[in-house]
Amino acid sequence: MSIQRMSLNTLAALVIGAVIALTVSSGTVLSLLTQAIIYAVFAIGVGLLLRQNGMVSFGHALYFGAAGYGIGIILQLGLMPAELAIVVTLAAIAIVGLLFGLVIVRVPGIAFGMLTLAIGQMFFLTASRARGLTGGADGMSIDWPSTLFGISQSVLLRPANLFMLCWIVLVGIILLLALLLRSRFGSITEAVRDNEERARFIGISTLLPRAAVYALSALVTGVGGVLSALNTGFISPESLHWSLSGMTLMMVVVGGYKALWGPALGAVVYFLFKDILGDYADHWMAIFGIALITVIVFSPTGIAGALQKLRFRHQATPAKAAVSSH
Amino acid sequence: MNNYVLQAEDVAIHYGGVKAVDGVSLTLEKGQIRGLIGPNGAGKSTVIDAITGRRRLTRGKVMLGTEDVSALGVVDRRMRGLSRSFQRTSVFGQMSVRKQVELASHKMGVSDSAADADAVLEELDLRPLANVIAEDLGYGEQRRLDLALALVGHPSVLLLDEPMAGLSVQESHDLAHHLTALTSRRDVSVLLVEHDMDVVFGISDVVTVFELGRVIASGAPSDVRADPRVREAYLGSAA
Ligand SMILES: Nc1ncnc2c1ncn2[C@@H]1O[C@H](COP(=O)(O)OP(=O)(O)OP(=O)(O)O)[C@@H](O)[C@H]1O
Ligand SMILES: [Mg+2]
Repeated sequence: MSIQRMSLNTLAALVIGAVIALTVSSGTVLSLLTQAIIYAVFAIGVGLLLRQNGMVSFGHALYFGAAGYGIGIILQLGLMPAELAIVVTLAAIAIVGLLFGLVIVRVPGIAFGMLTLAIGQMFFLTASRARGLTGGADGMSIDWPSTLFGISQSVLLRPANLFMLCWIVLVGIILLLALLLRSRFGSITEAVRDNEERARFIGISTLLPRAAVYALSALVTGVGGVLSALNTGFISPESLHWSLSGMTLMMVVVGGYKALWGPALGAVVYFLFKDILGDYADHWMAIFGIALITVIVFSPTGIAGALQKLRFRHQATPAKAAVSSH
Repeated sequence: MNNYVLQAEDVAIHYGGVKAVDGVSLTLEKGQIRGLIGPNGAGKSTVIDAITGRRRLTRGKVMLGTEDVSALGVVDRRMRGLSRSFQRTSVFGQMSVRKQVELASHKMGVSDSAADADAVLEELDLRPLANVIAEDLGYGEQRRLDLALALVGHPSVLLLDEPMAGLSVQESHDLAHHLTALTSRRDVSVLLVEHDMDVVFGISDVVTVFELGRVIASGAPSDVRADPRVREAYLGSAA
């Protein structure tokens, strides 16, 4: 995609967000959307790992929850201003992600998934049992200061504003990732994903790029965690639980991971499903499960893949007609 | 002193009890093409794995120029000019032809990697397919792409594992022609593993014959062809 096209898409996305924020008057709908966007960020992190590395993580909730806990603990201890706490927490997540990555990306296939699951659950149990600092299973509330980045909390937490903030972060992340993946880093990680052995034989040391993708995906997920901490003002071990990782993985599959924005679409679809079906059926998860299977069977590349195919067909048809008319 | 570009000394690779390669010595001079033949399972691919660092040596040593590279990994050896292609085509399925060849060239530290990639694509008649995704290529085209990935970055040694396998007579003829042209133009030395006898004896300066992980004959093509042990073990009485 050209830079021009990218800027245009970004602009369009921002306008759409603004229109939603301005026209949707219901606070409930806005906060539902906000939640969906927060999980969209989370899912993009998980999807990135799958897209650039071909690896499925069952433990990314670790980074989602760690963001909330990191900020919560720093603020509780009064170690630094909240703005700095956010930056420090995210940096720590990236570094820990890189260190973990250097070790676990060596593990192939399903075993990698199991390992991420085990590590995630380990932290879940630790947080559940550690009573003092984290409040254990009850969780802890996060003492956000009255102003953040110069904006007063009451303004920031207004549904429309919070939605817009999350939307901008989401769009920004997609844009930054798209730019990054256009660079050399993008082609190196693609090559390593496609054929790790051959990658070595063209001179690529494969461990670091793979660990870097893992760290990047942890960081993106961590950003989702920060937004969630801001949204709820609360963090509990639930945010570290594997079921959250699994749920996000479903969003990634439904949305499709071939496109960067696919997982985000999956998150939105998931929350809409949950909200609409949740009113009618106790077992809406079962219905979502059926939807999931349908997507996997009919479009393994998810909704995003199906949409891209449709658009491609649309663009291809006139071109073909032009050729054959000669 | 000698002027070998590549020297494998008493190289052995054992898989448990299987002695896939058992004490092989090989040399390559600058610009030389050495054909390597032998029946299935003779250890030809394994010796390439040994030289490139894909498999750890059970015994022996590999010299690249004057440097002992036995302890180095695949990446380091490739960076020093030791390059290979694969018996089973090994390319980057989801990437376009040009993108992967350019990436390989860039990783080799070529300053104008785009030009280097285009030159290699041109030589292998892949230029018209530059924007095609690798998995959409035909088999013969993928074989050439595999070769292109090995050729970029001006390697000094090329180890080619059955590059003609599965190609039509015309295609392998063309490829053989490319190879001889390449060795002189790019100053690269080639170890050519190939089952096509016409090609091997046609373009090699020297030929080595393997059987059960050992060298049973080595020398000028005409001498090797005449060697009674080779005729008996490999070429068959018909040859
Ligand atoms: N990973 C492995 N583990 C055990 N034995 C192996 C392994 N790889 C190869 N071998 C054995 O080593 C021997 C040499 O195999 P190699 O692939 O080098 O033969 P080759 O000469 O390339 O044969 P071909 O002409 O069929 O390609 C064979 O007996 C093979 O079965
Ligand atoms: Mg072989």
